[in-house]
Amino acid sequence: MSDDGIHAVGAYAPGLRVAAEEFAEAWGSFEAAGIETKAVPEADEDALTMGWEAARRALAAGDVDVADVDWLGFATTNPPMAEDDPTVRLGSFLGVADDVTRQTFTGSTRAGTRALFAAMDADTDGLALVVAADCPRGEPSDAHEHAAGAGAAAVLVGPDAPAPVTDRAEYAEPYPGTRFRRAGRGEVEGIEVTSYDREAFRETLAGAVDAVDAPDDPDAAAVQAPDGGLPYRAAGAMGLDNGTIHTCATVQDLGDTGAASVPLSLATALADGTETVLGVGYGSGGGADAFVVEAGESVPADLALDGGTDLTYAEYLRRRGDVTSGEPNGGAAYISVPTWKRSIPQRHRLVAGRCPECGSLAFPPEGACPDCRSLVEFEPVELPDTGEVEAVTAVSRGGEPPEFAVQQQKSGEYGVAIAAFEADGESVSMPLQVVGAETSPDVGDPVATVVRRIYTQEGVIRYGRKARVEDGA
Amino acid sequence: MRDAYLIGAGQSDYGSFPGESYRSLFRTAFENACDSVPAGIESEDVDEAIVGTLGVGGRQLGLPGPAVTEHVGLHGIPVTRVENACAASGYSVRQGVQAIRSGMADVVLASGVEIMTDVSGDAVRYWLGVSGETEWERLSGTTFAGVYAQMASRHMQEYGTTREQLSHVAVKNHENGAKNPHAQLGFECSLEDAMGAPTVADPLNLYHCCPTTDGAACVLLASEDVVENYTDDPIRVAGVGAGSDRVGLFQRDTYTAVPASQYAADRAYEMAGYGPDDLDFAEVHDCFAIAELMAYSDLGLCEPEEAGEFVASGTTKRDGEMPVNTSGGLKSKGHPIGATGAGQVVEAFKQLSGQAGERQLDDPQIGLTHNVGGSGGAAVVHVFERGLGGDAA
Repeated sequence: MSDDGIHAVGAYAPGLRVAAEEFAEAWGSFEAAGIETKAVPEADEDALTMGWEAARRALAAGDVDVADVDWLGFATTNPPMAEDDPTVRLGSFLGVADDVTRQTFTGSTRAGTRALFAAMDADTDGLALVVAADCPRGEPSDAHEHAAGAGAAAVLVGPDAPAPVTDRAEYAEPYPGTRFRRAGRGEVEGIEVTSYDREAFRETLAGAVDAVDAPDDPDAAAVQAPDGGLPYRAAGAMGLDNGTIHTCATVQDLGDTGAASVPLSLATALADGTETVLGVGYGSGGGADAFVVEAGESVPADLALDGGTDLTYAEYLRRRGDVTSGEPNGGAAYISVPTWKRSIPQRHRLVAGRCPECGSLAFPPEGACPDCRSLVEFEPVELPDTGEVEAVTAVSRGGEPPEFAVQQQKSGEYGVAIAAFEADGESVSMPLQVVGAETSPDVGDPVATVVRRIYTQEGVIRYGRKARVEDGA
Repeated sequence: MRDAYLIGAGQSDYGSFPGESYRSLFRTAFENACDSVPAGIESEDVDEAIVGTLGVGGRQLGLPGPAVTEHVGLHGIPVTRVENACAASGYSVRQGVQAIRSGMADVVLASGVEIMTDVSGDAVRYWLGVSGETEWERLSGTTFAGVYAQMASRHMQEYGTTREQLSHVAVKNHENGAKNPHAQLGFECSLEDAMGAPTVADPLNLYHCCPTTDGAACVLLASEDVVENYTDDPIRVAGVGAGSDRVGLFQRDTYTAVPASQYAADRAYEMAGYGPDDLDFAEVHDCFAIAELMAYSDLGLCEPEEAGEFVASGTTKRDGEMPVNTSGGLKSKGHPIGATGAGQVVEAFKQLSGQAGERQLDDPQIGLTHNVGGSGGAAVVHVFERGLGGDAA
């Protein structure tokens, strides 16, 4: 397996940003060293939707047919549901086959590197897709919360790779209390004994690095970054200089990305054309993983990590749901889970139907053909990701159905477009909420679809497609 | 086939009435309808009743028909509830005409009732979305304001329709509603007021949207065999047409017209033997300003690209060539969903019988009512004319 390694990388971070100064103004100080801005998930984003964003970019960058993926791993410390396998829906978003091996890695920020190691160990004929996505939270006054960012990275792993993983090792030493999340809680916390925290981080990382056959002077080091200070405090113990870590660090821009931290830095390094990368992941408790990537050739990469919209601290609290009310009275559109399940190919992948009688497209593909009115069984047709706006509105407060009231409290006005999608010369239309910085496209503008949360009913998160205005529109 | 005639019609006040129930509002409308019959009418004359209601708020979702007819002393007769969203009672009038034309009834009460204002704003927004396409359209985040706003966006893009032209619908309808004692928002508004209102769903602002309303309306229909027992000034139901379409806007062939309205109008004109040029007035379904503009062209009053100018030029004002919504329309008179279609017929009755008070047109002979369900999943059009008309004329 010496030539097993990385074929392509993708990465994504939400476009929303909040600056350290916003926290300093609100709290009098900012408690997360070395972080200038951090990425903030939109109200309808979570680890799963961010993971899809990264995964589709890795597949596109590597020009990989999703049918060639036969192992799927998803790593996060914040799965959208405490129990409910996220890889099933992630696989459905992406369209991977029903019988591929799926594994979830969670419970520690080390989950991202654990997933990478598991992919290396998976005995697969095709490619393994490792997806790490995270969006940690803490209590508002807590340093973990000040650091908490968001982002996702995906790595395609398999034989005959342009960037082989030449060695890997792990190391564990019990350090309870350094960073933990209680059962049933959403916020991470720690005992906040600074010297103890630093020692745990330094010793476990150095232990793992000592155990790999690492080059003396790697071009870049993708080091776990709970904040923008700790990695550099451990640099000496790992035999690294600060610049080697900084060259592929993302924490200063995205914040603490938890299980996605090392994969994001690895993706950044490989996208920059770096040849030798040392990866070092840390999970509280404490344990560490280290690995070495020797990129003989350039690695295809598609990274979408730029910020787009700056938030005030108040807007940040709205996005987090700290200052919004719960679900309103009035009720939501009731769509039973079995009914929803029947529409999942349409919700997740825009599978339309072609009429076998007249060739017209139907969406959703059920009932009589919209054109020839024949009662037919439609042939599945996967629509392209991009369509064109045919009609549009921007829904202000008071214009939304109650099930979108909380989303609107968090994110404000949203757009809703009817967009047309073409396949083989036929066109079909669907209504889509418009997300992103530009929520009011004009009729005729191109939009791309993205996977987001639609709403939650009966405790079940319903995911589906929304639209984002294409760049240059 | 026997002709059907409008012998009486009445409505409750439209508005927000914490002191009223759906039964008490229905009673008021029923009594007003009975009082409007020139030669009078007794409860026992009514052979059958049809009640249109959506059931906003969830009150009496099952058997709302007998719940109101028994309340007003119509005992033991066949009663049917019609639910076709905002076109519920337009369809109940149509069903009443069918009952008479078929020979199964001689006198029919066609009616509608709705209470919408005794629930929270969130709850009413829930109910305002239940007649849209639920699985896709609603879950894109729209209620009807959003869906009609999408139509408006397309109309503006395709035909150059402007926000100001849309606002003229509000100005005109408020001017009429100010002269209707039953109107919910019976005040005039300036173009400046109408244009400066807060946005609900861009490009539609608050003055491009009708209110939510409590109210009831009742229409009394009689066959040609008995009409002379009730009036010497009969109003004939000359034409009835109805049509349907896909419930979701995104599923339709056009976003700048309501095909169900076109089907309904074509059928009503064909039955009546009249066309748009023969009309002296029309009551159209202006739930949103764009809906009135689309109604102009769907009913054949003008071309789609002329609709904006049609209102802005004053053509559809009360003193214009083609008065539309002399009652104030849904915008000013109000829109108690299940009562709206029958309420439009109340206005047609008042105009054709010369009882429209300050807003009375000069001796109108032929009028049309146009009632749409949802964003166009259902529509129904009636053409009324003064006199016995038809074969009896």
